[in-house]
Amino acid sequence: MQRYIVQRFVQGLFLLVLVAAVVFFLGRLTGNPADLMLPEDATPEDRAALIRTLGLDRPYHEQFLIFIANALRGDLGESIRYRRPAVALFFSRLPNTLKLVPPAMAVALAMAIPLGVLSAVYRGTLLDRLAGVIAVLGLATPNFWLGILLIYIFSVQLGWLPSARMGGIRHYILPTITLGTFLVAGLMRLIRSSMLEVLDSEFVKLARIKGLSETAVIWRHCLRNALIPVLTLAGVFLAALVTGAIVTETVFAWPGIGRLTFEAVIFRDYPLLQAVVILDAVLVLFINLVVDVLYAYIDPRIRYT
Amino acid sequence: MFDALVGFNYERGGIGPGVAERWEPGDDGESWIFYLRKGLRWHNGDPVTAHDVKFSLERTMSPESIASRAAALRRNVKRIEVIDDFTVRVYTNGYQPYFPANLSRAVFQEGQLMPKKYIETVGVEEFRRRPVGSGPWKFVRSVPGDRIEYEAVDYPHWRGTPHFKRLVILLVPEESTRVAMVRTGEAAIASISPESIREVEAAGLKVVAVPGTMQAIYQFYGLYRPEFRNSPLADVRVRQALSLAINRQQIIDHVMYGYARWPLPFAVFRYSVDTDIARWEAWAREALRYDPARAKALLAEAGYPNGFALTFVNTALPGTPFMFQIGEAVADFWTKLGLQVTLRHVEWGSYQPMQLGEQKGLAGNASMFRTAGRPVAAARYYGAFHSKSAHHLFGDPEHCDSLCQEFDRLHLEVVSERDDAKRAEKTNRMIELVANTWIAVPILEGMGYWAVNPNKVGFFNPIPGRHELGDVFERMPRPEERPWPK
Repeated sequence: MQRYIVQRFVQGLFLLVLVAAVVFFLGRLTGNPADLMLPEDATPEDRAALIRTLGLDRPYHEQFLIFIANALRGDLGESIRYRRPAVALFFSRLPNTLKLVPPAMAVALAMAIPLGVLSAVYRGTLLDRLAGVIAVLGLATPNFWLGILLIYIFSVQLGWLPSARMGGIRHYILPTITLGTFLVAGLMRLIRSSMLEVLDSEFVKLARIKGLSETAVIWRHCLRNALIPVLTLAGVFLAALVTGAIVTETVFAWPGIGRLTFEAVIFRDYPLLQAVVILDAVLVLFINLVVDVLYAYIDPRIRYT
Repeated sequence: MFDALVGFNYERGGIGPGVAERWEPGDDGESWIFYLRKGLRWHNGDPVTAHDVKFSLERTMSPESIASRAAALRRNVKRIEVIDDFTVRVYTNGYQPYFPANLSRAVFQEGQLMPKKYIETVGVEEFRRRPVGSGPWKFVRSVPGDRIEYEAVDYPHWRGTPHFKRLVILLVPEESTRVAMVRTGEAAIASISPESIREVEAAGLKVVAVPGTMQAIYQFYGLYRPEFRNSPLADVRVRQALSLAINRQQIIDHVMYGYARWPLPFAVFRYSVDTDIARWEAWAREALRYDPARAKALLAEAGYPNGFALTFVNTALPGTPFMFQIGEAVADFWTKLGLQVTLRHVEWGSYQPMQLGEQKGLAGNASMFRTAGRPVAAARYYGAFHSKSAHHLFGDPEHCDSLCQEFDRLHLEVVSERDDAKRAEKTNRMIELVANTWIAVPILEGMGYWAVNPNKVGFFNPIPGRHELGDVFERMPRPEERPWPK
């Protein structure tokens, strides 16, 4: 197991350098932040002076090497817009995103589990097809559109819920539904296919022969086993939530890391963008590693070599 | 929460008194003397003095400053002298008639005054955490990514004593959400784009349009170069025909939903200094008219009765995304004129580097652009037409023909003329010279748009040319004090 963790750690480092390189060079394709900061009548000299002050006058490869050297010391640079260390900014916003992700995951599971189980149990029936339609709709609905629609219905028309911003428990309802719905389709399809496999297995037949009620067979025995593949992909789903949070946090003015990423792109804040993407990648790699290790403990048949 | 040395003319737009209630050129002709209001104080109780002005300007022009005007200040300011607590003299490199105007918040957003004593006592970091200003609103707290809260000062302020006790600036990036928040009353005012105007009006909210915030234009890069000598665009009659083919009123009515104005010449606004506004109003009505018959005749006269192929690079500068729609409408009118228009949409991030060096992709084509609302036209004219400028639409140091040389000479005369009347006369000549080339042509004068909940805020007027409401909040009445007209 230890060897496996070390192996994953080294792979992770390699991946991080790759992510850093991609975000570093792609970020620069979107233009120079100096052009957003200067007035239209700025002279070429004004532009050159600001670029120099921002440290963007060196060749790209040189900037990249400096960036990597600093990153190895834990310094991912200072945000151009906020004039604060990018790492500190990331960690000041991370708790807000983490407040949103678990309830969104809960919403996704609360919708996906019953739909997945019922569509597997009633395979081929109208209910199965209906669940399929819901899954496709969930997948096809962009979450920015869903968010705006929910705001329009529940805030503007009905006046039941606040439109946006972080606050009390009522502020969580619309963003978590929006973010959670994003995952329902994928989760539901996964649970359905996993349930179909489990429903056909020997231990289920045995349970039925023993005279257990159908409810107990399905919800107690089948579902528990069907959820193992879901756990395998939990890292992927959590990563999807973190990235999906960019849109949700922007629509609902939620001050998390998704919103921070959006701001970094809009204001061409290279240091911040690099830091956010790299730290996002670290987060996702960490979650995946934890999930893989947990998986070995939960399913004794799994052993890493 | 901050004040600027030079402020606004609240009614007309453009520059007006700020912390400096007046200013005048020094006897040497190479300095400006600013006379400060007396009795102003910082939110911590310290008095606002000339030492703060000197400190703020020097801080803005320091080598590590990233303020938009830092390089210009470094270039233009020789030294700053405090004459007494309420008088400060700024020595400039040569005569600079527009130096005070360029310090105004109408031009220079970051040009606020900072408290010298407080910053030196607590340090920059603490100042960032707990800033102290001298404006009518004092800082309460900032929640990163969510809001900034201010509280009204409890004494009369020269900019106006606020009618509300608290001001909360919410950071909401999505426009639909902002409009929803104004509709539900979670916010009183929100910045919107023209596309939301109909929705906002239908919801019973008010639309406040700030006039003169920008001018949408199109321009032709690099036509002076030898390789474009035979281009149809090199013929001034063709360029004039392109302007006559545009129905500006239709764009104002249908693309901007009526919330835009007939433009004046390039970079001229109704609050511009040193310009004969009445003359240019009359000129604009006639010269920028929609006259497709005359446009076709001019094209035929130039030898292009069946039109020609034209590439139009369409872009939108930050803050004015509606430029794309304006560009599309212009392209439609040119197609109607008989041109074979290839419309290329280019994001600003990609467009900006195209302006550098060879101006590849822009030179020889038509391009969408913008002029932000500024009271001094001369600076914008330099940036667009001077041979050493960023756009250098008339020529570069290697190819500077008679037009280019004439412009460079005239611009130098404008910015070095000490007599106000003569400077105005030369400015008008410069505007005329540019207008007659049809190389940078105004399409319309855009506005800044706000959705307002009339139950939350009473009727108020914005400052022309000042999109942000930063100097208007303190003048906003409560709804019961001044209801909105029906």
